[in-house]
Amino acid sequence: MEITFWLLVGIPVLPLLGAAATAALRRRASRGMLAAIACSAVALAFACTVAALIRFGQAGGEGVLHAPLWSWGVAGVGLGLIGDSISIWFSLVVTGVGLLIHIYAAGYMADDPDYGRFFAKLNYFIFAMSLLVLADGFVGMLMGWANVGLASYLLIGFWNRRPAAAAAAKKAFWVNTVGEVGLILAMLILLTSSGSLRFADVLPQAGLLPPEVLNAAALLLLVGAVAKSAQLPLFVWLPDAMQGPTPVSALIHAATMVTAGVYLVVRAFPLFEAAPWGMPAVALVGVASAVFGAVAAMGQNDIKRILAYSTMSQVGYMMLAAGVGAYAAALFHFMTHAFFKALLFLGAGLVIHHFHGEQDVRRMGGLGRESPFVYWTFLIGTLALVGAPPLAGFFSKDEIVVELLAGGHTALWVLAVAAAGLTAFYMLRLFCLVFAGNPYRVDASDRGPAEAAAAAEHDAHSAGVPAVQAVPVLLLTILSIAGGWLWVPGLTHVPEAFFEPALARYGSPAPVHAGPVQAKEWTMGALLLVSAAGAAWAVKLFGKSRRADATGGAFARAAEAGFGFDAAYRAAFVEPLRALAGYAGRVMDPQVVDGAVNGIARLAGTAALALGRLHGGFVRRYALVLVTGVTAVLIYFLMAV
Amino acid sequence: MPGMPFSGYVLLSAVLFVAGLVGVLVRRSPLAALMSIELMWGAATLLFVAASRHLAAMGGHVFAFLIVVVGAAEAAIGLALIVLIFRGRDGADVDEVRSLRG
Repeated sequence: MEITFWLLVGIPVLPLLGAAATAALRRRASRGMLAAIACSAVALAFACTVAALIRFGQAGGEGVLHAPLWSWGVAGVGLGLIGDSISIWFSLVVTGVGLLIHIYAAGYMADDPDYGRFFAKLNYFIFAMSLLVLADGFVGMLMGWANVGLASYLLIGFWNRRPAAAAAAKKAFWVNTVGEVGLILAMLILLTSSGSLRFADVLPQAGLLPPEVLNAAALLLLVGAVAKSAQLPLFVWLPDAMQGPTPVSALIHAATMVTAGVYLVVRAFPLFEAAPWGMPAVALVGVASAVFGAVAAMGQNDIKRILAYSTMSQVGYMMLAAGVGAYAAALFHFMTHAFFKALLFLGAGLVIHHFHGEQDVRRMGGLGRESPFVYWTFLIGTLALVGAPPLAGFFSKDEIVVELLAGGHTALWVLAVAAAGLTAFYMLRLFCLVFAGNPYRVDASDRGPAEAAAAAEHDAHSAGVPAVQAVPVLLLTILSIAGGWLWVPGLTHVPEAFFEPALARYGSPAPVHAGPVQAKEWTMGALLLVSAAGAAWAVKLFGKSRRADATGGAFARAAEAGFGFDAAYRAAFVEPLRALAGYAGRVMDPQVVDGAVNGIARLAGTAALALGRLHGGFVRRYALVLVTGVTAVLIYFLMAV
Repeated sequence: MPGMPFSGYVLLSAVLFVAGLVGVLVRRSPLAALMSIELMWGAATLLFVAASRHLAAMGGHVFAFLIVVVGAAEAAIGLALIVLIFRGRDGADVDEVRSLRG
């Protein structure tokens, strides 16, 4: 009991201590020291998670590790940590992938003057994310939720002298605030209707609440999930969030934080299942985001924005799985996606460094011959995402899509398979443009002298990838290959068995298998066929020539503009707010606020002038006033007696 | 010797005090004002001594001596101030000293 308590507490608290230490020492300690502090804090948190997993296994995998911290007097409102299979699973990925990305960042950020600030923020993120997934109630989860939002804001805007990064950070924060409002409203509904905010109190009695209350709570929770997970229609912040340093994109905006919405839906699944609109809404959001993200990724030219839309699409798959009750498949895809998407982002960081900060895939090419290490690791990541057997993405995506057909959701199945084809297309397009063909050479006239000098200097010592970056990439490559072998149909079923007790505790019914009996064979065949077609098409278009835009200029322009979502939000929310702020600045501030302040000042001045006239400097009048006053006092007292 | 009744002293003291007060208020010469103030001191001292005898208590005498001493000091300081203020001026008029006007 004692050890369990400290293990659970250690997972979020150790990175928090690391953040405090790196922040305090960021000007005094050496770079190596700062990186060592930050990495060891996350490594210890990972060790705590593994130890918690072992204790969880010793307890038979059925129980729940629980560490109550404190209560705020109101029944059911308090903070505590739980270690059940869902939170330990998430925590393993957060601290494990987080550790690898910390190590990679130690090399990637080596030239940055704000090394300590970067690691302090990165450690702070791990703290917030662990709190989010380990909290035993909505209150603690909201605390983690808001803190990851802040960490995301701080890290997107890490290069705070770039206006684009600052704007992207603010955008992410605003959109996530919309989600947080939804989450808080849902919590208030749950607190007033069920009297508690602890998962263990609320979720078992979810079915007893009236359906309209359940609908409201589930849809508001979904608003929070949609904003955090960059799903339709609140995805607009994610592509812009790529302004942050690439390790940040890998950790926060691909592997961990954007899956918080999936965590929320899976954690609160009894609510979504009990609410009449809950599950259809989740599935709808998921499939729409999966297709939309894949279509948008086809038209992007910035390597990181392609991966960002791809993340949106893949998180859409997880939502879709959660929306049809395939929670174990959603969690499994979350883990494999964390592996290969982190790998792809870290590889993208190497690519960007190789091309001297260039992020436009049309200005890349020929990297395959120049750097075989990047080529092979990126290829594994690409194939894992596309779903080539026997890599990780094949098994996890397959598991989701099989559930769709087995559950009888034929329309969703068709859309999911189509999105897989688009996935293969945009990933192979990205891969061919970066690695195939001849190296893109900028004309000397295009390049300023300073730029050319920097490039020449860079060329001189960019022969290889430093070990500190190569090792995490290599480990993630191995995980992207082998991560899927945890759940091979007919052979292993680790996630299913691992999550079964946690899901059964709230009486999740076994998935209904209403579809055709050969769902597995049909799905596997269709996925492989469609993905191979998409990949072949992309290779045919981009394998040799440098024709970056295969689908027409209008599509590329629309994709670049995020298909009008940004413009619509600007017209609907940003411009009215600007107008209101302008009105306040032009009218409210000078006239009402300043008017009140100036009026008070003028009143004091006028009163002072009027009273000042009494001080005429006329001594005999002072004497008379004095005498009169004394006389009046005397008369008063004499009358009183 | 049949002395004056106590009320006579009180009356005399009041007359002297009011005379001094009116002097302070109406005279424009600082010397006259200072003398009027001395008159008020005298009225107060007279009342103390008379009351002391009337009540057969010695406290009033003590106060009388105290007032004489303080009055002398006040006169010295007051005269010094008047000399300083009017050294650079033509006349000596209280109403012309108005540099503290607000």
